[in-house]
This record gives sequence, structure tokens and C-alpha cells, in this order.
Amino acid sequence: MAAGLKTVILLSFVLALGFLLIILSCALFANWLPILVALTFVTAPLPNALFAHCASDEFSSDPGVGGPVDLGRFITSIVVVTGFALPVVLAHAEVIKPAACAMSIAGGALVYGTILAYTNTFKQDEDDFE
Amino acid sequence: MSLPRANYDPRRVCLNPFPEFTLGKHRRTVGVYLAGALFALANWTFLDAAILSKHAHSPDYDPDWYPPVHVTFVDWIPGICSLLGLLVVNLIDKDRIRGEEGFGDSRAVWRARLFLFIGFALMAGGLAGSVTVLVLKYILKGYEQQYTYYGLANVSQNVALMLSAIVLWIAQSASGEYEYNLTL
Repeated sequence: MAAGLKTVILLSFVLALGFLLIILSCALFANWLPILVALTFVTAPLPNALFAHCASDEFSSDPGVGGPVDLGRFITSIVVVTGFALPVVLAHAEVIKPAACAMSIAGGALVYGTILAYTNTFKQDEDDFE
Repeated sequence: MSLPRANYDPRRVCLNPFPEFTLGKHRRTVGVYLAGALFALANWTFLDAAILSKHAHSPDYDPDWYPPVHVTFVDWIPGICSLLGLLVVNLIDKDRIRGEEGFGDSRAVWRARLFLFIGFALMAGGLAGSVTVLVLKYILKGYEQQYTYYGLANVSQNVALMLSAIVLWIAQSASGEYEYNLTL
């Protein structure tokens, strides 16, 4: 219980740090386009979460197989790469500064890493539930 | 379920199966993620060129100078062809193509192979078209390197889209539990 609580607190701090970096990268340069990175990374686990429920009925013994699950993973991967590519493209086109690009990428990586770590840490609870 | 090598099925399109990769039981997952990443990378490479072209402006010291070339709709066509080809190739039921006995009639197998051929032809056409655009629009006109980059981005977009389709195909035909032995 205590270990889980510490993990939650740590992860929430990292998440806040990631959002802080992204918002700073927007606010310091008075150009709010990098906020799209935050939206992208928050949306990233959504397709996986949605499509994971599609195939679990048929293949309850092997939940890794099925077209919908693959589609969800495909879209998730697209969204994650989009999150990293968007600031790079914007910086390349000189819409945002390179510093803003680096800050928003770092912030996005922190946010997405938090989401991944949260999912992995608390996966055991779901397994116990099943 | 694969046939022995000696009696080739004359209905097969291609006798060489895709190579078998052994990445462990997660290879399907890894392959699908990799395909999605390649897909996004391909499109962002080209969008980078398009955005760069849109934002190309005259330098401060010479306001009368204009960029000599822009990314136009011609540059988009190869990518659209490759995208359609990727969709067609991956929407085909892969059991149909193997054409096993007692699994649908032969007309269905024939049609599935025709669609597969159209898909691969679209992808190859997209790749060839991107090289054509690179050569005809950028290299032959002798533009500077920063404008040739538009054409190079186009070519790399189509190469990455093709790689994405191949990786997705291999990943989906190499199932973890059922062990499909795909002979295309």
C-alpha cells in the first residue's frame, strides 16, 4: 500500500514536470503551438485502451491476437511518433524556436513515460481481478 | 500446413515465402508498433518538406528574391498512391491468398490475388513516381540542395511507407500462437 502510494506521488510529480516543461516551452516564446504535443501524448494510449476491449471476448486465452488490437497498436504508434515529430517539424520550419522544440519533446517524453509507467505498475491489479 | 517443396502449387503467385523472423512471442506486437512508427515517420518526413516549402520566404537582405520551387500537388500524388497501396495490401484476408483446398472457391482466391497485385502495383508506382518527381522536378532543374530536399523527402516517404507495409505484413502473418506458415 505504502509503495503504491509512493509510486503514485512520484509519477504525479513527473507528470506535472512534463506538463510544466511543455507549457513553459509555449509561454517563454509566446507561441502556443507546442501545446499540441501535450494533447497528442495524452491521446496516445487511448486507441490501445479502446481496441483492447474489442478482442478480449473472442480470444480470452490469447489477448494479443486480433485485427482490432493490431489497429489500436498501429494508431498508438502513429500518435506517439507524431508527438515527437511535430515539434521537430515546427522547429525545422522556423515556426518555433529550437529551445522550445527540445523542451516540448522532453516534456512530452516525460508525460508519455508517466502514462506507460503507470499502466505497467498497476497492471497486476487487473490480472488479479481477472 | 505448408506443401512440400517438391510439388509446387501452380496457382501460387510467388514461390519465395517471406523470411521467418524469430523475435520471440512478442514479434507481432513489436512488428505492428514498428509499422505504425514507420508510417508516421514517412508522412511526417513529407509533411516537413511541405511545411518548409510553405514557410520559405525571401531573406532580409534581398526582398525581391523568391523561392524558385514549391511543393505542389504533383509531389503529393506518389504518397497518396503508396497510401492506397498500403491500405489495399493490408485489407486483404491473408488466408484467401494462400488458396488452400476447401477454403473458398478458386475465383475468390483469384480475386484476392488480383487485389494484392493492384496493391503492390500502387506501392511500386508510388515509389517510382516519387523518384520521377525527384529527378524531373528537382535534379534536372539544378536547384540548390535545400530544394532538392523536397524531392528526397518524397522518396523517403514512399520507401518508408513500403517498409511499413512489409513489416505489418510479416508481423501479422507471423502469429504468436497459431504459427501461420505463410507461403504467399
